Amino acid sequence: MLVGLALLACGRGATGRPAALAVTDDAGRRVNLVAPAARVVSLAPSLTELLFALGAGPQVVGRTTWCRYPAAAAAVPDVGDGLSPNLEAVAARRPDLVLLYHSPLNETTAAQLERLGIATVLLRQDRHADVARHARLLGVLTGHPGAGDSIGRVLDSVVAAAAPPARVRVAIVVWDAPPTVIGAGSYLDELVTLAGGANVFHDLAAASATVSLETIVHRDPGVIAILPDADAVMPPAWARRPEWRAVRAVRAGRFLVLPAELFGRPSPRAPEAVLELRRLLARETTP
Amino acid sequence: MILDVRDVTYRYPGAARDALAGVSLALDPGEFVAVLGPNGSGKTTLLRIALGAVRPAAGEALVGDRRAHDWEPQALARAVGVVPQREESAFPLRVRDAVLLGRYPHLSPWAPAGAADYAAVERALRACDALPLADRWLATLSGGEYQRVRLARALAQEPRLLVLDEPTASLDLRHEMELFERTRLLAVPEGLAVLVITHHVNLATRFADRVLLLHDGRPAAQGRPGDVLTRGTVERVFDWPVAIAQFDGAPQIVPLRRPLEVR
Amino acid sequence: MRWVLLGLAAAGALGAAVVLGPAAIPLAELGTSPIVRDLRLPRALLAFLVGGALATAGTGLQGLLRNPLADPFLLGLSGGAGLGVVLAIALGWGGPWGLPVAAFAGAMGAMVLVYRLGLVSGGALDPRTMLLAGVAVGAFAAAVTTAIVSLAEASQLRNAFLWLWGGLSGASWQTVAVLAVYAPVPLAVLAAAARPLDLLALGEEPARYLGADVERVKRRVYLAASLLTAAAVAVSGVIGFVGLLVPHLARLVWGHRHGALLPAAFVGGGTLLTLADTLARTVVAPRELPVGIVTALVGVPVFALLLRRWGAP
Repeated sequence: MLVGLALLACGRGATGRPAALAVTDDAGRRVNLVAPAARVVSLAPSLTELLFALGAGPQVVGRTTWCRYPAAAAAVPDVGDGLSPNLEAVAARRPDLVLLYHSPLNETTAAQLERLGIATVLLRQDRHADVARHARLLGVLTGHPGAGDSIGRVLDSVVAAAAPPARVRVAIVVWDAPPTVIGAGSYLDELVTLAGGANVFHDLAAASATVSLETIVHRDPGVIAILPDADAVMPPAWARRPEWRAVRAVRAGRFLVLPAELFGRPSPRAPEAVLELRRLLARETTP
Repeated sequence: MILDVRDVTYRYPGAARDALAGVSLALDPGEFVAVLGPNGSGKTTLLRIALGAVRPAAGEALVGDRRAHDWEPQALARAVGVVPQREESAFPLRVRDAVLLGRYPHLSPWAPAGAADYAAVERALRACDALPLADRWLATLSGGEYQRVRLARALAQEPRLLVLDEPTASLDLRHEMELFERTRLLAVPEGLAVLVITHHVNLATRFADRVLLLHDGRPAAQGRPGDVLTRGTVERVFDWPVAIAQFDGAPQIVPLRRPLEVR
Repeated sequence: MRWVLLGLAAAGALGAAVVLGPAAIPLAELGTSPIVRDLRLPRALLAFLVGGALATAGTGLQGLLRNPLADPFLLGLSGGAGLGVVLAIALGWGGPWGLPVAAFAGAMGAMVLVYRLGLVSGGALDPRTMLLAGVAVGAFAAAVTTAIVSLAEASQLRNAFLWLWGGLSGASWQTVAVLAVYAPVPLAVLAAAARPLDLLALGEEPARYLGADVERVKRRVYLAASLLTAAAVAVSGVIGFVGLLVPHLARLVWGHRHGALLPAAFVGGGTLLTLADTLARTVVAPRELPVGIVTALVGVPVFALLLRRWGAP
């Protein structure tokens, strides 16, 4: 996926006409803005976080109910759900740019917003490279190209970093019935590799997939990583189910809790996440 | 006495008037009795009471030695065989299997049908001249053929009382006559009691020993056809001018023409 | 002869379920492998019991409703179970058995509601009214479920739908034991209703005249079929097609007498689901397909084949 950009770094040129900002989003649509967006509605928590990281926080005029990071985001008006957005609430914020999670349903929503004269961008982040790309793209669109570039470079270096030798075999379980695990298509897999772990389901290309319980038993991870809700009880209730106890790590209670704050989605804080995960994995002595 | 309905009265819930009031009917083995009357005169209600499907508000209905609703369903089905007016099988069936259903009242819950049951099915099919149809699917039968099969099923129950509810409803002349001839033949020598509920007055008078004529839920007359079907009675009950002819020793109703009032 | 073939098919399906799987286990180690002992064997047995329960319930309901298109989920049970599961997740009810218990309770709620709605004057159950009530209850439950899902945090509840789409991943010796103890009673009730169900096919009035205690039979068949279906949903989510197709497959070979049809449907349904589950586990290994998709993909062509050979009379 490429990002094309035309930009005049120092404001207006000699002719006095404003520069045009043009990018291509994840749905392959060309997005053109006459000037950096002044009123942005973000309909995805990861994009909200990215906007604030770029320094574009003051330009954010609308967020979803689930956008809770950073703390400053709470002050921004809530326009409802992000997966099936409330068009009226969004339009009421008079945005000149709306960021949506890229899904087939939202392609329709984007078209509807475009008909109202509002520019829309469809973005989806599964891996850190996506966040790097979006940082640059949103940096351009919101008038913070420098910040965008700098975040992009940090994430590029995280992704390009040499992975340390894998010492711990991990399975990242996101749901118990049916057993659903994280595969190579997800940023979580990237984090595990960078933190010195090996995702036993790295051979799965998808971001997440349903697998047979017996595969988990057979691959025998040393530890099970989970992303529970803040108030969830540990170890998880499903760990007491007889069929899950066939997994050695479950029997031994070897669970790794990944706080949703840091690990719930790919974010500019990836370096922080890698460090935290490295620390957690270091506590596991059995590979 | 196989059937003894004594002075029964019944009103359907929410109805303005009684469906039946003070009706009595008794049958002995070997008797062929017809219940006649216009639509809504209570014929079907009488059948339901006689078979214990509903309880009369007054009076009682006895089948054999017990009240109709005191009979255990399977035992009652061994005593009374009914050829119902309406029937449609939800699933395809062959004739032989359909007639075998008539043996179910005789089967104990876990034992399969035995040689005696299959023999009874054969006999019933033969008595109704339905043996050639035995391997056909029900859905491929004509109205008359299906009727014979249902009669065979009722006979396979080996009942003491055979009840036919509007049996000629969709039959042509030949099949109507055949049906009545056949049931008459079964009744008299075998000692079966036969109760027929029918619209077809003229056929009933030629085959029945006794008739019960109902009018608005009340018994208009009961007795030998010749005694019951007089011109005055028929005109009152059916509300239409008629002439009574005699054929074969039985009264035959001939409806007269009457110009309709034009308003 | 047909029974022998069916028995062999069942044994073959169970054998395949134990021998085959994403984790390659050599034949020699089958006896000692913990994967086989703790996962594959109970899962094969559970698939057999669930498939058998659904097929038998479907047969009973088709007889009760006098409708060859009836399937165990036609009467709102899946909607009720779904609502139970979504409520359990949204309200955080839990414990390891939270979802199965909630699904069962939801299905029971739907059953009672449809029963009450299906009663017409005189305390009699009317099949046509029950059908309409089932559709209405199912639709209502689905609507409430969707409302809850759209108002709450999406991710957990989307996982609830994954569970509902059906799967035998929750199989363990415990779930097998629960089902093995629970299922015989409703199965026996259905078996005892075999002859009355034959009679009921003629219509309620003719059935009564042939000695069936029609009201009692309708009540018992409905309750037994619903109990079997609710238990199946509780342990394995909503698995479609088995309850609808297997009775028809059985009728093509064994005819319409429920005395033969019910046991044939049980064994046939068990065989079909066990095979489907083995395929679900192995076809895209290490990933797993929802078993309901496999039952459709396997069952429908088999059905079409049999229809051509034996024909629908």
